[in-house]
Amino acid sequence: MTAPSFSEQRIELSNGPLTFRTGGVGRPILHLHGTGGPNLSPMLENLAQRHTIYQPVAPGFDGMPAHPSTRSVTDLADLQSEFIRKVIGGPSDVIGLSFGGWVAAWLAARHADLVDQLVLEAPAGLRDPGTGGLPDDPAELRRMLYAVPERAPKPTRSPEALARNRQVREGYAAGISLDQALLEALPRIKARTLILFGTKDEVCPVEKTGRRLKAGITHSHLSFIYGAAHALEYDQPERVARLIGAFLERGEAFLVRNPEAA
Amino acid sequence: MKFSYFHLMPWTDLEEAPAQWPVSNRAFKPERGKELYDGYIDTMAFAEACGFDWVGCNEHHFSPYGLMANCNLIGSVLASRTKNIKLAMLGNLIPLLNPIRVAEEYAMIDVMSGGRLVAGLIRGVPHEYIAYNVAPGESRERLREATALILKAWTEPEPFGWEGEFYQYPSVSIWPKPYQRPHPPLLMSASNEDSAEFAGQHRAMMGITLIADLKLARRSIEVYRAAARAHGFEPAPEHILLGYNTCIAETDEEARAALREGQRYFHRVLMHSIRDAQRLVIQKSRFFAQEQHGERFVNRLETLKERSIDEMIDAGSVLCGSPQSVVKQIRRIHGELGAGRFNINMKIGNIPDAVVRRGMELFRDRVLPEVAAL
Repeated sequence: MTAPSFSEQRIELSNGPLTFRTGGVGRPILHLHGTGGPNLSPMLENLAQRHTIYQPVAPGFDGMPAHPSTRSVTDLADLQSEFIRKVIGGPSDVIGLSFGGWVAAWLAARHADLVDQLVLEAPAGLRDPGTGGLPDDPAELRRMLYAVPERAPKPTRSPEALARNRQVREGYAAGISLDQALLEALPRIKARTLILFGTKDEVCPVEKTGRRLKAGITHSHLSFIYGAAHALEYDQPERVARLIGAFLERGEAFLVRNPEAA
Repeated sequence: MKFSYFHLMPWTDLEEAPAQWPVSNRAFKPERGKELYDGYIDTMAFAEACGFDWVGCNEHHFSPYGLMANCNLIGSVLASRTKNIKLAMLGNLIPLLNPIRVAEEYAMIDVMSGGRLVAGLIRGVPHEYIAYNVAPGESRERLREATALILKAWTEPEPFGWEGEFYQYPSVSIWPKPYQRPHPPLLMSASNEDSAEFAGQHRAMMGITLIADLKLARRSIEVYRAAARAHGFEPAPEHILLGYNTCIAETDEEARAALREGQRYFHRVLMHSIRDAQRLVIQKSRFFAQEQHGERFVNRLETLKERSIDEMIDAGSVLCGSPQSVVKQIRRIHGELGAGRFNINMKIGNIPDAVVRRGMELFRDRVLPEVAAL
């Protein structure tokens, strides 16, 4: 099976331009990236065999122009809703990774009709202040991201570029680690939601974040990926792909064992 | 010092050593089985009146060595036959079982007993892996993953899924949850350095089943303590459980004679074919991560088989004698190893139940009062 090719495109939205990567064939998936910026993981390439992937670069990340009126996580969620309407053309499945998971949760809460099924991979925004988070020390950061360091991707950005992306993220997060407004908004999420956490995640400790999401989102499933830290897709690609693939393709029936569908 | 009363529930009526493993069940007589269960359960319940803190059950398969294929069934009976004694399941052989079922059954015992479960999460001895057709080389990783999953099943407040190497469950939410919060105390084997490290990491109590050599036992205890400390846990003496075949009688001579007979049946009959099966697993799989641990395991059994009662007492491998002698032996081992909990097995091989009962009474009246304050 050959990897689908991806192309880069650009669209003008009401607040400014947005660059995105797209590829694959099938039911659409909007993929919202984390603090490091967008990456095409092997898991995403695999999903592209059966889905059309849209991966926008949030304004300000990777040197893209900032939008003067897109300042917060909720602004980003609103921006993505416009992207869904204008580019995808209707409701879409959404996968959000870490910081992107925070945006995705707001997107599903504020624009419930535009999100079909939602996958939150170790989402940020719901951890207690003083717990978890990304450390400054690069070695410590790497240790907290990857439980299986040999599976970590080769760096595609310079340390300076990563630092800039992190600054952009801090700008949107505005010092919030526990987003109380999102906690209150979670019941507005109508999409069936799969919440994934690694059993070794120290960045977003599941004890609080995962449980808050599970309790708040009406139709949700919390799953632990054994042996994974924060970078789930890299630490345990097969386990994550197996679970997300089954969830997106079979909906609630992913709960029922079906070896033929694996 | 605290004491656990442990029972293997052996089949006592075989006349000759079985030819091979698994042991043919042709000789099993159901009516006799009923008698044995009744007597053994009475004895185990009696441990509460004899001052034992725990009563211990365990799991073995396909052999007259023990009639507890599922020790949770016995634990469940004891939950209703006793009031205060802790019910130590020592334990379920986790890599062989469905971890969710273990979490459920342990939680049931804990709730039914009002929070008296001590949860043994045990890898088991090599030949059990033939019985349940699980690859012995996977046993350590299965134990590791299943332990993590069982702890989640006990502590997660919301339904959750598990995507692991050996276990995949899309949705878990056990009823009941354990009585003790966040979960029952854990006990893990620490018979070699690898397992001692694992027990320490999990802040579990550690157990050594049979001690052939006090020096090796001390080494395992040191590794356990160091691993526990590295994980922010300072084990107390009662977190260290040492297994002891024990025979207490009015005189040293009576105790020695009874133990000698019981051990003869134990080693020559009950253990006979098991040793072959264990060797097979150790030689043909990676049950032990280090070859020396496999050799040590086999040697330990051989050593215990060949030693005289006096040699075993000197080596700190058994407790045997009059109450006065046993008190001295306990004091010595406690002093040398710093262990605060002994797992006492008095039904060794085919030692008569009346001798076992008398030994329990002597323990209650003349041993425990002398060592409880240690």
